[in-house]
Amino acid sequence: MTNPPSRTPLRLLFLGIVLVLSTVAAACGSDTAESSSGPITLYSGRNEELMQPLIDAFTEATDIEVEVRYADSAELALLIQTEGDNSPADVFISQSPGALGLLAGQGQLQELNSDLLDRVDAGFRASDDTWVGLTGRVRTLVYNKDLVATTDLPSSVRELTDSSYAGRVGVAPTNGSFQDFVTAMRNEIGDAETAAWLEGMAANGSPNYPKNSAIVEAVGRGEVEMGLVNHYYNLRAVEADPSVPSVNHFFPADDLGALVIVTGGAVLTSSDSPAASEQLLDYLLSDEAQETFVAETQEYALASGVANSGPDGAPALDAFEVDTIDFDLLGEGLTGTQELIRSSGIEQ
Amino acid sequence: MASSSNAPTASPGAGLGGLAIAIGALFIAPFAFVIQRNAELGVDLFDEVAARTTLDPLGRSLLLGVTVSGTAAVVGTAFAWLTTRTDLPFRRVWRVLAPLPLVFPSFVGATALIAGFASGGLIEQLLAPLGDFDLPNIRGFRGAWLVLTVFTYPYVYLPVAARLGSLPPSLDESARLLGRSPWGVFRAVVLPQAKGAIWAGSLLVFLYAISDFGAVALLGYDTLTEQIYADRLFDQARSMALALLLALTTVGVVVLERRMRGQLDTAQTVSSVELAPVPLGRWRWPAVFGVVTVVGNALIGPVAILGFWAWRGMTSDVASIGRSFDAGALVGPAIRTALIALVTAVVAILAVLPIAWLTARYRSRVGEIANALVVAGFAIPGVVIALSIVFWVLEAPLVSSLYQTLPLLVLAYVLHFGAQATRASQVAVAAVPLRLSDAGRTLGATRFRRLLAIELPLMRPGLVAGAGLVLLSTMKELPATLLLAPIGFDTLATNIWSATEAGALAQAGLGSLVLVALSGVLTWLVVLRQISHY
Repeated sequence: MTNPPSRTPLRLLFLGIVLVLSTVAAACGSDTAESSSGPITLYSGRNEELMQPLIDAFTEATDIEVEVRYADSAELALLIQTEGDNSPADVFISQSPGALGLLAGQGQLQELNSDLLDRVDAGFRASDDTWVGLTGRVRTLVYNKDLVATTDLPSSVRELTDSSYAGRVGVAPTNGSFQDFVTAMRNEIGDAETAAWLEGMAANGSPNYPKNSAIVEAVGRGEVEMGLVNHYYNLRAVEADPSVPSVNHFFPADDLGALVIVTGGAVLTSSDSPAASEQLLDYLLSDEAQETFVAETQEYALASGVANSGPDGAPALDAFEVDTIDFDLLGEGLTGTQELIRSSGIEQ
Repeated sequence: MASSSNAPTASPGAGLGGLAIAIGALFIAPFAFVIQRNAELGVDLFDEVAARTTLDPLGRSLLLGVTVSGTAAVVGTAFAWLTTRTDLPFRRVWRVLAPLPLVFPSFVGATALIAGFASGGLIEQLLAPLGDFDLPNIRGFRGAWLVLTVFTYPYVYLPVAARLGSLPPSLDESARLLGRSPWGVFRAVVLPQAKGAIWAGSLLVFLYAISDFGAVALLGYDTLTEQIYADRLFDQARSMALALLLALTTVGVVVLERRMRGQLDTAQTVSSVELAPVPLGRWRWPAVFGVVTVVGNALIGPVAILGFWAWRGMTSDVASIGRSFDAGALVGPAIRTALIALVTAVVAILAVLPIAWLTARYRSRVGEIANALVVAGFAIPGVVIALSIVFWVLEAPLVSSLYQTLPLLVLAYVLHFGAQATRASQVAVAAVPLRLSDAGRTLGATRFRRLLAIELPLMRPGLVAGAGLVLLSTMKELPATLLLAPIGFDTLATNIWSATEAGALAQAGLGSLVLVALSGVLTWLVVLRQISHY
């Protein structure tokens, strides 16, 4: 059945040893010493396809090399938190203000200089100056135009607890953007009414999804009629398949549902190149970079002076009335949001 | 590697015991991290665990673990028997295809299956011209159970196929001559022979199912792991309490399995005569139908959907889709993926072999404890394993310079996936007859020479089977790779993830196809050719 070629295990073992040694050698080669004049390290929670062209342009313009680790914003925040003072990262860019708030609460983010902070409106940066907003996305109700009549669309997110919407609205209660939205809601209408809204959504049996893109795909298939998401996921879905019947419905600018969620950047206290790090954030707020964000993602540009119509059909940025970031509720206060979401029973 | 002493084989040398303790200590790292975080955050474990909001997800996790491992055991065992012992048509083809569903990262496989089978998905669209079909809803428990079963049955299939392939089929033949039906032969002869391998594979499936995040989240089934994930940032005390609960549950299950399974299979000499396979008779075509159904859902279906995405991207004249589509960009990641996975497989075998030696040869208590730790590591979420390495390494003076380099990435993989090599290694050790080692010693061969010349060749099929599982898992690993790989060391899995995040389905589809193809080639070259009957 088997002929035992006695040389084979020897070869395998040898191959293994060579591979291990070459790995170690490769690793040592890549382990360059950190110095203040060396490259800066960016942990980016925004994806490579969007960020890398901007980073390359920054290096081109400033001669500052940037090494980028791409991963999910939440995981990167956990990584930085665990790394503590030993973090190799200089800059952190996050998709969600919650992850930035967590690190600010841990004392891991530096105060940024006022020139940098002043590039955006006070509403779009941390009140303790630890991070600055880069772009804004808006919460929206994505719907399947084959299944939902436009007369059926709500004018406020609070109408979605009505029994006529039972089972029809997908939510992502474990996702950062939904959590940020609930935090903003607590800030606007208080914990009791927020809990009542969440319980109403739970009583309606709102189907759960893990993230915005999964909701948009489900709406596109017609598995669920509507869903609460950030605006740009549907833009990408329509781009990949123009025949898909999902459409964004924007709530009026004065409604709780029309929340602008900022993406932001920060410099770590453990950074040994704070000046170059701030230069990078400064570049991301330049006209050139802001226009790229707008063109690629239809996000709102946050730097003052940059034209930002935002997504097609959405209100203008200055029309929004919902406070986007309540700083007292970020960081530690977000535990309360988690407890509220959990005890409402919306996770099902 | 093994003890260098010339002690009698009745007790392990001190060197081997010490080595097993040192390796076991490495595998404690994730558990110690979770316990440390619980202490630091002042968690009242009982408070968190006793809550309804914890017990319900825990119950769902256990239900999913038990049902998925049950169905995977049935599917994997039947598949293994059909391809190794019967006259099933196209056996060789099935043998190559059967292990491959293991290579889908959970988030890719589940996304593809959902895109195909979910309400309004591709299959409904394809069937639309034939009438108005309404496929059953696959969300919730049903969906999670089915999706996890089709992607995990290879954990049972591989060890059982290796086991059946290494045993003489003469008993089958005798049973058949005595007038047993194929089912009768299966129950009376095959099942007892393969029992140990079935238990081992089912345990891995159970651990995979209770620790999976990707599939259960996409299918909307709220398990303990989903809760750990949801709370990981803003309610870390609860998240870590639940992680500890998961770890304790896992250790409990591993110990329980050890008790229920009983002793390891006794080694049997390999027959050198290949006997005729069991004729399936009138069950031949139903068996083909069953195999086609499993492979169709677990492999062909997802591959077809991924291929459809890639094809749509390649042929699309929409500039924005073509923009992100770049097949050449996958060459580097493919090479890196293959190399790191091969290295990890070798290191994992080296790490678990001393423990396997202790447990299989000496029934050593130290060995059993170390083994339980290694196995339980499989159920710790990848993010937690990565963070535990961050935590311990950056505190340590010398190794901290290795932070975010490949050796520590390999360590993370081994801590996570070493479990998959333990059982196969024990089988491998048991395959070495004591008298052969003794004869070598009598003839004056050194310990190292005996290992190379006598023991390794005999252990080869078992070790290779274990290494194969580690290889396939490493190739698709995502969370630890994102956090711990050197910057710029992108693998196929990170590439697919990145494309998925950017909404570039075409690129994600193509990357997944490359991953499946590469896994198939490596499985064939490294694993299947080395196991007898392939």
